[in-house]
Amino acid sequence: MIYKKFQLKTLLYLLPALFIFLVFNVLPGITSLILSFFDFSGFETSLFKKFVGFDNFIKIYEDKYFWIALKNTFLLVFGAVFIQTGIALMLSIFIFFGNFKFSVLIRSIIFFPCVLAPISVGLVWKKILEQDGVLNSILGLDYSWLSSISLVMWLIIMVNTWQWIGYSLVIYYAGLQSLNIELLEASDIDGANWSQKIFSIVVPLLWPTTILVMILNLIGGFRAFDIVYVLTRGGPAHYSEVLASYLYYYSFAAGGPNKMGVGASVAFVIFACILTIAIARVIIQKRIEKN
Amino acid sequence: MANSLKNNYGATFKRSPIFFILTRVVILFFLIIIIFPLLYTFSLSVRSPETVYSAKFFLIPYEFSLQNYYDAFFYAEERLKVSFPRMFLNSVIVTTSSVILIITLSIFAAFSFSHLRFPMKESLYNVMIASVAMPAQVLLIPLFYLLIYFGIINTYTAVVLAYAGFLIPIGILILRMFFEQIPKELTEAGIVDGATDFQLLLRILLPLAKPAIATCVILLFLDTWNEFIYAMIFMQDPTIHTVPVGLAKIGTSRYHINIGTYSASVMITIIPVMLIFAIFQRWFIAGMTMGALKH
Repeated sequence: MIYKKFQLKTLLYLLPALFIFLVFNVLPGITSLILSFFDFSGFETSLFKKFVGFDNFIKIYEDKYFWIALKNTFLLVFGAVFIQTGIALMLSIFIFFGNFKFSVLIRSIIFFPCVLAPISVGLVWKKILEQDGVLNSILGLDYSWLSSISLVMWLIIMVNTWQWIGYSLVIYYAGLQSLNIELLEASDIDGANWSQKIFSIVVPLLWPTTILVMILNLIGGFRAFDIVYVLTRGGPAHYSEVLASYLYYYSFAAGGPNKMGVGASVAFVIFACILTIAIARVIIQKRIEKN
Repeated sequence: MANSLKNNYGATFKRSPIFFILTRVVILFFLIIIIFPLLYTFSLSVRSPETVYSAKFFLIPYEFSLQNYYDAFFYAEERLKVSFPRMFLNSVIVTTSSVILIITLSIFAAFSFSHLRFPMKESLYNVMIASVAMPAQVLLIPLFYLLIYFGIINTYTAVVLAYAGFLIPIGILILRMFFEQIPKELTEAGIVDGATDFQLLLRILLPLAKPAIATCVILLFLDTWNEFIYAMIFMQDPTIHTVPVGLAKIGTSRYHINIGTYSASVMITIIPVMLIFAIFQRWFIAGMTMGALKH
């Protein structure tokens, strides 16, 4: 600290950023929670006129597609947290210990989709998965992948994983690079084989990295909207809707119900999910620190 | 150094032929999965419109042609009133102004968090960290009305301010951590020499913080260049569509679009990013890793 006491000119450094953060992040965040108790649509200028209590929440509670969107969101988050993390762990270990000549190039290629816009990625896959797309030509099938109610969410998970796997991979790789090699050398002397080394030394040592990757993927899973938007628009019917896209459908979509209040109550649910997870994270962290 | 270490404990892995073959097969499989969709889209985009549905081994065109790229430009302008040069210009304007605004404000705020005193500092910082986990869509509806209220909806300013509100916490987070790692001796020496706090920031901290600022620039560039939902809803006027918004319009429009034109449109958005990535890949990977590790 430069100064022993608070000085007024400190505010000159802080206030510009704080002002924008408060006005364009905290204020709308709080307003969003309040708006979920009001009824209003896109064309109204005064928002807080029709107080409807819990009507918006009752509306989504009785909406079968809301529950599908909630289930799909959890499915997508599950895919990101477990499938994506698992594959990334395997790939990072394979590249790191595999003595590849071009390991930097391999990492760059797998990482590359992360820098693309999810919109571009979604459109690339959309053509591949269409009924006359190349996937069916390769497999010799004539299947409409994106109109399958049971498969569509898994395809979205696959495309999401395809895009973000490299992100988890490079974080794992950083974890591997800072690994304590003494244990590995000791196990060499003990004559451990490669699978024993991976499963009883490397994977347990990477546990802190695994937790970090899981948290990042969990946040990313809740964010996914763009890929759903271009790949299926929530269809067939609303069977691939996630909370974020259902919020969009209720409040902004052309041809949607244009019920902003209901959209705000969906935002409330997303907010509640993230908050619950954040609190759980703090509690778990404290418990780990105690032990 | 790093390389010799790696080979050292890779030694036992090298001795196992099963591990050797397993890694090659698995990595090759994933490389194909990553590369094929992009290569296939590229292949579609360079076929002549007559031969667009056929190719050798799914990938090699019978007839090369850039016709699809011409068509993509005209299709976007005639059918959907969006133009690619305009989209790129819009994205460049939005991205550069957002990145400059966010970085500048974050530097000053991060400095006040790391080197100055003010009341409620840590609780304010915790609120900022917590907000990083919130999905952008939660703020969508109230922000929309707020921007209408300010009379800036459908302008670049609307999206730039929305991005700033959303991304400033990340900038502060990364820069504060970095400022605090700078040895105290350096700042104390500056104070002894009679430097003001502003000189301290400008002359001592900022030159040392170049890597952290580079990290921030990369993260913010990717976040703002690729961002879709705010750009779509806060800038509905087709003349100010950014690249993702214009592309989404082309890719999901109800009009018939030739698959070659479609693929060329997608490739127009991918190729520039690919070139930038090819040049700066080390920084991209290091930046995103560093950004993640700061959480």
